[in-house]
Amino acid sequence: MAAGGDGAAKPLQTAMKLAAGAIELDTGNRPWEAYVEYLKSISYISQALLEEAAAAKGGSDAVTPDTPKMLKLAEQCLERAKSSAAVLGNVKPAAHERGPSPAPISRHRRVFSDEGGKLSPFLPPEIFQKLQITKAQGTKKELTPLEEASLQNQKLRAAYEARVARLNPSQAVQKTSLTLSLQRQMMENLVIAKAREETLQRKMEERRLRLQEAANRRFSSSIALTPEEQEQRALYAAILEYEQDHEWPRLWKAKLKKNPTDLALVSGLISHLLSFPEHPIAQLLKTLQHVIYSRLYPIVSQNLADLSTASRTSRGFSSLSLDAEGLLTPAPGGRRLRSSQSLYCMASVQENKVNLRHSLSTTPLSEDLGTESSPQDEAPARLADRESSFEDLERFLAAPESWPTGPPAEPLAPAEKKASLREQLKAIVKDIHNSVDRLLSLTLLAFEGLNTASSKDQCLARIEEAFFSPLWAPLLAVYRRVYQAREVALSRSMERHRNMPPSELGVSANLFPQGSKGHAAGSYPYSTAVQELGLILLESCPQRKLECIVRALRVICECAEEYCAAHESRPQPASAAIGADDLLPILSYVVLKSNLPQLVAECAALEEFIHEGYLIGEEGYCLTSLQSALAYVEALHRGAMVK
Amino acid sequence: MAAAAGSGAGGGGRSFSFKVVLLGEGCVGKTSLVLRYCENKFNDKHITTLQASFLTKKLNIGGKRVNLAIWDTAGQERFHALGPIYYRDSNGAILVYDITDEDSFQKVKNWVKELRKMLGNEICLCIVGNKIDLEKERHVSVQEAETYAESVGAKHYHTSAKQNKGIEELFLDLCKRMIETAQVDERARGNGASQSGTARRGVQIIDDEPQAQSSGGCCSSG
Repeated sequence: MAAGGDGAAKPLQTAMKLAAGAIELDTGNRPWEAYVEYLKSISYISQALLEEAAAAKGGSDAVTPDTPKMLKLAEQCLERAKSSAAVLGNVKPAAHERGPSPAPISRHRRVFSDEGGKLSPFLPPEIFQKLQITKAQGTKKELTPLEEASLQNQKLRAAYEARVARLNPSQAVQKTSLTLSLQRQMMENLVIAKAREETLQRKMEERRLRLQEAANRRFSSSIALTPEEQEQRALYAAILEYEQDHEWPRLWKAKLKKNPTDLALVSGLISHLLSFPEHPIAQLLKTLQHVIYSRLYPIVSQNLADLSTASRTSRGFSSLSLDAEGLLTPAPGGRRLRSSQSLYCMASVQENKVNLRHSLSTTPLSEDLGTESSPQDEAPARLADRESSFEDLERFLAAPESWPTGPPAEPLAPAEKKASLREQLKAIVKDIHNSVDRLLSLTLLAFEGLNTASSKDQCLARIEEAFFSPLWAPLLAVYRRVYQAREVALSRSMERHRNMPPSELGVSANLFPQGSKGHAAGSYPYSTAVQELGLILLESCPQRKLECIVRALRVICECAEEYCAAHESRPQPASAAIGADDLLPILSYVVLKSNLPQLVAECAALEEFIHEGYLIGEEGYCLTSLQSALAYVEALHRGAMVK
Repeated sequence: MAAAAGSGAGGGGRSFSFKVVLLGEGCVGKTSLVLRYCENKFNDKHITTLQASFLTKKLNIGGKRVNLAIWDTAGQERFHALGPIYYRDSNGAILVYDITDEDSFQKVKNWVKELRKMLGNEICLCIVGNKIDLEKERHVSVQEAETYAESVGAKHYHTSAKQNKGIEELFLDLCKRMIETAQVDERARGNGASQSGTARRGVQIIDDEPQAQSSGGCCSSG
């Protein structure tokens, strides 16, 4: 990281840019383009690395500090390319397959929409589940005695047929005897198998009862059983049963007992556990994921459907803001809050001390659509060379519910719909929390050795990682929908002020390099922090995303120190003790440069899923700072906060 | 998840986690103040990589372990509106002014108003007159500052980051007050509905080592 922002960081930067473009396409419902862009990123990275390696000629500098990052990026691009490919490859055949059956119309409409090729990046829940299952398969399965017997009989039969084929037609007697002996053997096999199966079944039943009793004893403290407790009891019994048949849980328990403080062991256990699809915990994970996905899917697909109709009728948001203004002005004042006031709004909630932590995400804001800036101002901005992300955003926000095609008959309807979306999201978030809690408590129940504070944290982190990985994308899509207005305002600010120098954002002069000396074209101060922040999009687990934010802020501090030392032209470290007075302006600059308006939604989601223990720690501080910087940049285009 | 909070009242090996926000105008010296405090005594651990923006400190006060998370905030006017998301869930606030700068004291008064409005009386306020090494250039009278502090239920402290005066006392006192508040809060909650909803976030009273009673004693000096 020593090379602050000079030429050395360039390939990574370009690669990041490519990947970011691909992600933008991906989230923007363009899997084919995204797929191509991912492949381009990968190709670019390997080309760049190849050149570097060739230049180094086997020397030690073949691997630069950026190399692991580049490789990681390539890996992540490959992952995403795979899922894009899955989207491209899977949705169509599935739809054909279901062709004659009375499949839900909505899917047909979407898949075969006249938008042509614009497939949803999100698979229908049924296919989501199928993928879950196929991923789960491929592990050996134990056969029941009857299955085993029939397998053996098949072998016998095959052997018999082979022998008969070898016999001459004249050896009829031998053939008959062979046939008879085969029938006898097969019968015997079956009888034996049946008997074995019966005893086994009896034993299993006995064991199940015994385990159920054990589970009951375990839970005996509570008298009245809620359905959840009953369910947990059943699951626990299932786990005990599983453990009777499998060796590994016992081995892991022993290992845990031996090294109770080894957190790597905890991670290992969880990934091991989840790699056995027939383990009750892994099964519960799949079921809960599917439940959440089925709830998210209708919302995101509805939005996408809205989008496709909207993009045909609307063009960009200059018309949008016109309509919105016409629509919103007559609305009763109390209903409409400007997004700039979101903080005050939040504050008033705090005053009531309702649910302090969730204030930001649960406050019923009804967003305005930029009514403060006049539409005439918007028009030239639209003509400016736009980046694809901006176009996407434009389409994304041009949904009919925020701008009606007909005369504004019911001015309150959009607000109501928005509120219901918010409610839905809130309920889903609650379900996610409950799901993760259930998985965690079941895991702790199954492996008592995990029940220490640090192991529990580690365990939770691993469970979340597994849980969120297929769900983050659709979840974020819903968040983006809810925080649309703020995202629009932010993207506007980013467009308009993208060349604003750090000094105008309040960064003090000694904390960024003056002039352009030593800086290649296209490079700018704190670019490494911008890159670090951009990596957030590639992660799909809240904890990992928070780590990205923390890293970005740390890089800011490192860079600031470096710049400061360069100014004073004496290599004395720690001369710039960066406090919030310095950090926030720099972070605002980094946010502006990142050109990632979806950070608003990412942060809102992260605020919901950050662990309680991290809330007041470094992660919480970094998240809060990022949210502040976002709010500040968002307000920039109103000019209210620049001083 | 918040299960650990309400249970096991009493007993020694308790640990508290407190969030403290640091407020003050640009050049009142809040950065040096907090750096001084966190570098000073327990020098075993390097200060966090976020430098003076976010600092942590572990203390042991009468057998109670305290984890302090000190959140610096931006003092510039342009970031004023962003304050609330920094101070939510704070247990304490340190408001710093420069005794040679009347203006910075006025700013403190504004913040006090805002904090009381947002967080009520649950937050422990400390008003700190920094730079007492520059006594000769004092522009804020001791009398005025202390009277004001008392009138808003805050405590007043005199410090010098430069000479390292009064800082240790300030934080120790604040921690004691926060423990007090947390215990009162906890007792009140204990009497009320047993486990209704999530406990107020921020006051995390963690019973660490719930099973390891055998290890006895709580005298693990930090």
